[in-house]
Amino acid sequence: MGATAMTAGTLGTASKAIGQTKKPIPKDPIKIAAISFLTGAAAAPFGIPGYNTFAMCADVINKEGGILGRKIELLSKDEAGGVDAQVKLCRKLVLEDKVDVILGYISSASCQAILPLADELGGLIIAYDCGTHELMEGAKSPYEVPKFKLGFRSKAHLGIDNIGLALVIKKYFPKIKTIAGINPDYAWGRESWQIFEVAMKKLMPQVEVVKTLWPPLGNTDYTAHISALMGAKPDIVHSSLWGGDAVTYTKQAMGMGFFKNIKMAYSRGEPYPQEVGKDFPQEQIICCAGTHYFLYPPHDKSPLNKWFVAEYQKRYGKYPTYPCYHAYQAIYAYKYAVEKAAKAVGGWPELDDIAKATVGLSFQTPSGTLTIREDHNAIEDVLVGFTKLTPKYPFPILDPKRLEVFPASQVNAPVGIKTVDWINSWK
Amino acid sequence: MFKNPRWILYLLILITLLFIPRFLSIHDLMLFEYGITFAIVGLGFNLLLGYTGLLSFGHGAYFAAGAYTVAMIGKYFPQAYSLEILIPAALFFSLVLSIIFGFVCVRHTKIFFSILALSLSMLLFALLFKLYHITGGSDGLRVPLPTLFGMSFKGIRRPEFLSGTYYYFLLIVFAISFIVMRGIVSSPFGKALQAIRDNEVRAELIGIRVRRYRLYAFCISGVFVGLGGALWTFVNGHVTADLSHWVFSGEIVYMTLLGGFGIFEGPIIGAIIFTYLKLYAMGNTQYWMFVIGATLIVLVMLLPNGVAGAVSSLWTKIIKKSD
Amino acid sequence: MWVVYTLNGLYFAALLFLISLGLNIILGVMGILNLAHGSLYAIGAFIAAWIIIAIGMKVPPFFLYITLLSGFVLAGFVGFLMEKSLIRFMYKRTLEYQLLLTFGALMLLEDVIKMIWGGQAYYASAPFDLLGKVDIGGNIYPTYFLFVMIIALMAGLFIWLFMSKTKLGIMLRAISLDREMATGLGLDINRLSTFAFVLGSGLAGLAGALVVPTTPALLGFGHEPLILGFIVVVVGGLGSLKGALVGALLVGFTRSFGIAIFPEIELPLLFLIAGIILVVKPQGLFGR
Repeated sequence: MGATAMTAGTLGTASKAIGQTKKPIPKDPIKIAAISFLTGAAAAPFGIPGYNTFAMCADVINKEGGILGRKIELLSKDEAGGVDAQVKLCRKLVLEDKVDVILGYISSASCQAILPLADELGGLIIAYDCGTHELMEGAKSPYEVPKFKLGFRSKAHLGIDNIGLALVIKKYFPKIKTIAGINPDYAWGRESWQIFEVAMKKLMPQVEVVKTLWPPLGNTDYTAHISALMGAKPDIVHSSLWGGDAVTYTKQAMGMGFFKNIKMAYSRGEPYPQEVGKDFPQEQIICCAGTHYFLYPPHDKSPLNKWFVAEYQKRYGKYPTYPCYHAYQAIYAYKYAVEKAAKAVGGWPELDDIAKATVGLSFQTPSGTLTIREDHNAIEDVLVGFTKLTPKYPFPILDPKRLEVFPASQVNAPVGIKTVDWINSWK
Repeated sequence: MFKNPRWILYLLILITLLFIPRFLSIHDLMLFEYGITFAIVGLGFNLLLGYTGLLSFGHGAYFAAGAYTVAMIGKYFPQAYSLEILIPAALFFSLVLSIIFGFVCVRHTKIFFSILALSLSMLLFALLFKLYHITGGSDGLRVPLPTLFGMSFKGIRRPEFLSGTYYYFLLIVFAISFIVMRGIVSSPFGKALQAIRDNEVRAELIGIRVRRYRLYAFCISGVFVGLGGALWTFVNGHVTADLSHWVFSGEIVYMTLLGGFGIFEGPIIGAIIFTYLKLYAMGNTQYWMFVIGATLIVLVMLLPNGVAGAVSSLWTKIIKKSD
Repeated sequence: MWVVYTLNGLYFAALLFLISLGLNIILGVMGILNLAHGSLYAIGAFIAAWIIIAIGMKVPPFFLYITLLSGFVLAGFVGFLMEKSLIRFMYKRTLEYQLLLTFGALMLLEDVIKMIWGGQAYYASAPFDLLGKVDIGGNIYPTYFLFVMIIALMAGLFIWLFMSKTKLGIMLRAISLDREMATGLGLDINRLSTFAFVLGSGLAGLAGALVVPTTPALLGFGHEPLILGFIVVVVGGLGSLKGALVGALLVGFTRSFGIAIFPEIELPLLFLIAGIILVVKPQGLFGR
């Protein structure tokens, strides 16, 4: 059991991957595991829309002939049960069920624990909805990429949301004096605030942070928090609260007269006007986790978005929200990567071939163009808007006259540079 | 102690275990290793429950102590990240925590004891949860592969590590824990604990220092549980604050009861069965909590002595019949 | 602002009081720590939410009482089933079995809720919206929260009167003070215990039904309330109603003011308080 025995083992697997195998394309279906919250707090806002979209896209792809002639067999799994359960599930899917790819993970906590498994177990994992920027970043800038050879994220990380918010605040509210934050106490919340705070300090150094609150995920009583915020008198409050928490918080805040003097900036607020309905306060700043909004790009400019919205509405009776767009990106990223890799190797590609093909992949999505870089992370533009009630829809939409879109280059750090360092280097 | 013919059986089982990697798939072997780490936990926990008669719904705290020791050393002192340092460190910190918490708990019995143990473990949970920048909060910390006596495992994947060197390491530690606990339980100290369990007043009267012995039992159980926690981290690759949550502690109690807390080997059997039961349930139905809950209820009502207890009673019945 | 902080403290205390009331009754009379208490709370929330959504906003405010009653009744019924099928077999057994049984019931009920109501969120805020806002000293405050406080107060008064003035209540107190003596005096322990368990469960359901207009009913709804109820019981004293009140107020105000002054503090502070009480006076402030 010496060191030589161990290295020999790894060399063995490595040489198999590098060699070009002209494998004929199999006839059996491709097993895709789709993992998102089917139960619990994140199910209704994210997990179920995400899953619905995976099912919808798989169906559409299959109707069009599948991927290289192979039909997709979608295995839907629940992301609930805690990180440990997810680790065990991932191992089972890769080692026992031998799925071709895992598309999944909404929670930043899941991603942090699962992405390393991609290389550990030798399975392809594409994270589709989680936001933590630390996932792919190294300890110091510049850092080596990619962090995980077989792990990808088919969307941009939370950096774009929070930088986008800061840019909009600077443009529209240059005179504000104070800000505050209320974010859920885990990676997602902590990191969202961190990026926002760093960006604000850089863009508007005169603004002071008067309060930061950290309710636990799933907190149901925000009254104490709302009062604390109101007592601190901030001009604008940043929040990455999501799902039931965002709705609960907003409603309780509405009841306490919060919105009379304070504005909210929700880093992932796009689904909530639809949930809260007509009474959702107007003039709130909402970021769409990218440019994922059912009204953007305008349907006359993007037939793909028009089709996507119509198809989703036809099947599920609601407008698609950003998890739906993310799901689309993940499954199509896999499809296009496999097709690109197959062309390169002249047969069915191995995992390493697919991984290689995914880098540099750039394709059209209902929200615009998605590009996946060498750090295995995708970059996207970001859309920030202001809520406004219009007669056409039963809930506030984003004011079409003030849809601020920031290009990817303005809100995504360059490859190998930590987001925080990049922001601090702005002139 | 060793003259007992049981030891031949134990030896045979140990030899069989040495060959398991050949028969099980990597995935099943990893599951089995989870089972072994919990078997060590169960052995320790049962010293307190079965032998001393104290029910703690808060032993997850010591599991977390052992597990986080490993994870924190991995994060803050990576140069010391080798098993020969990690294991003693985990033992040390779980011992310290058990002494502190145990000192508070053993002054009381029955429901007060249980509530105290639960509350203290939840306090640790709350701290691990809140101190996000140190402990990773609810997201936890990653646990990379360690080195062992200079042997580095860089470049090999975790499944290979676990099915190779680590399995034998785990087996050795388990065997040692088994022998040590067996010794403790058969010793005069072990007998004294049982006397305390059966009749506290009488034990005090014959000169046993009840509170002190309870504390010793508490600490020994804490150390074993912490050892299990530390060993578990490498199999899981990740630690979270949930390890100190009372529900996790509840699973430890469940396992011990499942196997049977009246028999020495009971918790070991319980740990192995529970590991597979939980995964089997989770993999096959979305209502796995119903399955686990229902199984627990059936167990408590029908098989209060656990699986090992039931088997043992059956065995006794068979032997009686053949007379 | 201090007016609002106080109101918040009272509101949270009201919730805590209701949650721990049921827990304490069961603990006091039967000596059982019902780990499934949070599940009963959740059941109350789900049935109330379901009714509110089904009925919509088209009802007069008194309908609120019907949703509260539904929560109380359903949770009480489930408690009745639990007691009859499981708990009563455990009287002769030791503490371990009782705790494990309620632990098993917790897991079981969690999935039963999932089976009946599925995995989605139930937004049932109609009562909250209906009652609107009120102006208190220049601060806007949702009227519904005041409603919660009133209900909690009424429940507390009712239980106190019940326990001290009615024959049934006095019998329950007798059992909680000295079970053996009570049996010796001829009290029907079994029926009284069932009654206590049903009452405690019903109160949990009532609390859940009361809260659900302020936050959607979801899986895992009962996890935090169980822990909070537990903290109050520990701080106030096992089985003591006065302790539940004082404990709830202490914890509620500490949290409300704590968040305003030390934002990071949240849950650990509550456990720290509980921990300190446990070390100094393990029976709790008013426990025996």
